[in-house]
Amino acid sequence: MNIAFYLLALVAVLGAGLAITLRNVVHAVFSVLLFFSALAGLFLLMLAEFIAAVQVLVYIGSVGILMLFAIMLTTNVMGDPNRPVRSRGWVWGGLAVIALLAGVLLPLISRTGGQTPTPLSDFNPSVKQLGMVLMDPYFASVGVIALLLTAGLIGAVVAATGASEADQKKTVPANRPNYPNT
Amino acid sequence: MNNFFDLKLVELGRWIEAFFADFPSLKLVVHLLLCTLPLALSFMGAFAFTTWLERKGLARIQNRPGPNRVGIFGLLQPIADGIKMLIKEDIVPERSDKLFHFLAPIMLMIPALIGVGFLPLGDGLHALPLDSAIIFFFAISSLNTIAVFMAGWSSRNKYSLLGGMRAVAQMISYEIPLVLSAVAVIMIAGSLNAQEVVASQQISSWVGSGNILQEFFGRILGWNVFKPWGFAGFIFFFVAALAEANRSPFDLPEADSEIIAGHLTEYSGFKYAIFFMGEYISAFAIAGIGVTLFLGGWNGPVFSGLPWFVLKLFSLFAVMIWIRGTLPRLRVDQLMGYAWKFLFPLAILNIFLAGFYHFIERQWGTAIAMLAGWILGFGALQLAATALSRLNQSPIMRSKRVYQLVE
Amino acid sequence: MSLLAKGILKGMAVTAKNFFQSYYRKERLPTVQYPEEKSTITPFTRNFPFLLYDGDDAVDGMRCTACTLCERACPPQCIYIIKDKDEKGKPILRPRIFDIDTSVCMSCQLCVEVCPYEAIRMDSAFELSNENRFEGLLINRGDLLKSNDYYHALNPVEARETDDRIAAKNALAEAKKKARQKKTRLAAAKAKRPPSRLKKSPPAREKPPQPEKSE
Repeated sequence: MNIAFYLLALVAVLGAGLAITLRNVVHAVFSVLLFFSALAGLFLLMLAEFIAAVQVLVYIGSVGILMLFAIMLTTNVMGDPNRPVRSRGWVWGGLAVIALLAGVLLPLISRTGGQTPTPLSDFNPSVKQLGMVLMDPYFASVGVIALLLTAGLIGAVVAATGASEADQKKTVPANRPNYPNT
Repeated sequence: MNNFFDLKLVELGRWIEAFFADFPSLKLVVHLLLCTLPLALSFMGAFAFTTWLERKGLARIQNRPGPNRVGIFGLLQPIADGIKMLIKEDIVPERSDKLFHFLAPIMLMIPALIGVGFLPLGDGLHALPLDSAIIFFFAISSLNTIAVFMAGWSSRNKYSLLGGMRAVAQMISYEIPLVLSAVAVIMIAGSLNAQEVVASQQISSWVGSGNILQEFFGRILGWNVFKPWGFAGFIFFFVAALAEANRSPFDLPEADSEIIAGHLTEYSGFKYAIFFMGEYISAFAIAGIGVTLFLGGWNGPVFSGLPWFVLKLFSLFAVMIWIRGTLPRLRVDQLMGYAWKFLFPLAILNIFLAGFYHFIERQWGTAIAMLAGWILGFGALQLAATALSRLNQSPIMRSKRVYQLVE
Repeated sequence: MSLLAKGILKGMAVTAKNFFQSYYRKERLPTVQYPEEKSTITPFTRNFPFLLYDGDDAVDGMRCTACTLCERACPPQCIYIIKDKDEKGKPILRPRIFDIDTSVCMSCQLCVEVCPYEAIRMDSAFELSNENRFEGLLINRGDLLKSNDYYHALNPVEARETDDRIAAKNALAEAKKKARQKKTRLAAAKAKRPPSRLKKSPPAREKPPQPEKSE
C-alpha cells in the first residue's frame, strides 16, 4: 500500500512539475492529465472509488479534452522560443508557495504528531452511502450548484448562438436549393 | 443447471490458486493473473474472431463470399493478417511527435482492456467488482478520446488532425446520451454495481418458484429492453455506443473515403494492428455494458451465465456489423446535431419516463405500468421526436423546395 | 423524423435479404473462385490477337503474308514483323519474325479489321501474366500461331463466316483464273500479237498467294 502511494505521489508531482516546465503546450496538457490520473489512483487507494471515477470522468475525460481542444486550434504549440519558460521572479514565487504549504500543513502534521490515525469503525465507502449523504443533508447545496451549472450552460448557449442566428436569417437566399436535414 | 459454466470456471481458478497456498505473495500474483490474463486473452481472441465475422458478414451482405482461402471458411485469416501486420515495416513520419506517436496505440489499448474488466461476465466472473463499476466504466471509456487525439495530433498530418478533431468532438457529444440512457437503468436498479444491475433484471418472484415456465421466462422477461423506457433507452444507448466506438455509420473520425482513415493515416504495421484491436475491444466493452444494462447481463434461461453473455455480446456485435453493411456515413454537422438536438433531449425525457413507470408499477402493478408505458410513454417519445425534428429543421428545410436546374 | 426510423429498417431488411439469400441463391453470390473454376467466356470476348494457319504444319499453312498492314495499323505499335527469305535471299511471303507485346497491346482489334488475308484474329485467352516482364510478355510467332480448328472451337460462328468468305474468294479467283486462261488460250489460238498483252497482265503477280490459301 505504501509503495503504491509513494509511486502515485511521485507520478503526480512529476506530472505537475512537467506541466509548468514543458515548452510544448500539448505535452504540458498531457502531463496535467498524468497528474490527474495519478490523483485518481490515490483516491482509489483510499477506497474512494466513486471520487476516483468522477476524477477520471470529469478531469481527464472532460476538462483535459477541453484543454486539448483549445490547444488543437493553436498553430504554434512551441510558443515563442525567445521567451523563457520561467518568469523572472520564480524564486520568490517558489518561496511563497513553500511558505504557504508549510503554514497550512505544518499545524496539521504537528496535531497528529506523526502517529498513524486510528481507522474509523463505521467507515462505509459505498456509493449508496455517498448518494444518501448528498441527497439528504446536503440536498440544498447540491441543488444550488446544479442550478448554477445549468445557468452557466444556458448562458454559454445564448452567448454562442445569439448573434449568429440573426445573421443566418439574413444570408439565406429565398430560392437556394435544398440540402436534406441541414 | 444454472450457472454451471461459471461455477466450474471459478472452481478451476481456485484449484490453480491452491497450488500456491504456501506462498501468500505468489498466490496474490497468481490470483491477479487469473483475474486479468484470461480476460485479456479471451477478448483478444474474440477480436480476432470478430474481424473474421465482420469480413464474412459484410461480404455476404455485398453478395461475395469473403475470406475463404486461409483455413476452412477462411477461419485462419486473422492469424494471417496478424503475421502480415507483425512483419510489416513500422513507418514513423519524420516530423511527427515520436513519443506520442508511439504511446497513442497503447493509450487506446489500456482503457479498452480496463473497461472490459468492469463487465460482469457471469456469476462470480467479474474482474473488477467495484461498487461503482458502471460509472467507472464510462469514465475509463472516455479515455479513448485522448488516445485518438494523441494519434491525430502527433502524426503531423492534416488528415490525422482532422480525424482527431472529429473524434474528440464526436466522442464528447455522444458520451452524454450514452450516459443519460444508462442513468435510467441505474435509477431503477438503484445501484451502480454491475452485478446488482444484472440481478435487478430478473423477475425474482418467478425465478425461485420451481415452476419450469416461470423459471424460464422469469429470466427473460425481466430484461430492461422489455420495459418501455428500457426499449427506448436501449435504442438511444445503442446509437450512442455506435458513435462512441467509432463504428459505421458514425465512423467519421476514420472516414477512409474522405480523410484517409483519419488518425490512422500515419500508422502502419503492428501499431496499426494494436490500434485496430483497441478499437474493437472498446467496441466490445461498450456492447458488453449495453448487454449488462439492457439485455439482462449474463441472465438467461437454462444455462445462465457466461454462455448467455457471450451469445448476447456477439448478437449485439452482429447487429453492429449489419448496420455497417447497411447505412452510409453521416455528415459532420448531421452527426453533432443528432447528438445534441435529438438524442440528448430524448434521453432526458426517457429518464422521466422511467421514473413515472417505476412509480406506476409500485402503485398499481406491472400490467398497468406496461400498458401505460408502451402507449403513453411511447406516445410522449414520439411526440417529442416529431417536435424535435421539426424544431431542428433549418429555415431552408422548412421552406418549399426549389429546384433551380430542373426547370 | 419518426422514432421507428422506417427508412433505416427498410434498408436493414434489404441487406438482411442479401445476406441470407447469398447462401442459397446463385444470383446472390455470383463470385467465381478463379484459379479453381473459370467463368464461361462468351465467344465474342476479345483480348489478344493470334495468327491463324491452315492444315497441320504451322509454318507452311500460315495465312499471314507479312504485308505489315497490321503493323502499320496498330495504334500502340506493339506488332513487329520481319519478312522471311529463302537461302538465295529471295523474299518469301510470310513473316520470319512476328512479335506482339502483351504489355503494350490494348485489345483494339484494329489488326483484325485491317488484315486482308483473314490471318489474324482475337483470342479470348486472358491468362497472359508471366514471371519475366521483358521476354515473357513479348509473344513471338511460334506462340501466336493457332490452327483453324482452334478458331472454330473459340468462336464457331465467326470462324465459319471466315471460312465461307475465304472459300468464296478462292472460288472467285479460281473463276477469274479460268476465264483468263481461256482468254489466253483464245488469244494464243489467234496468235497474232499476243506477247505484249501477256507481259502486262497482273495475274502473274497475284498467283503465288492463292495456292497457299487454298491448301
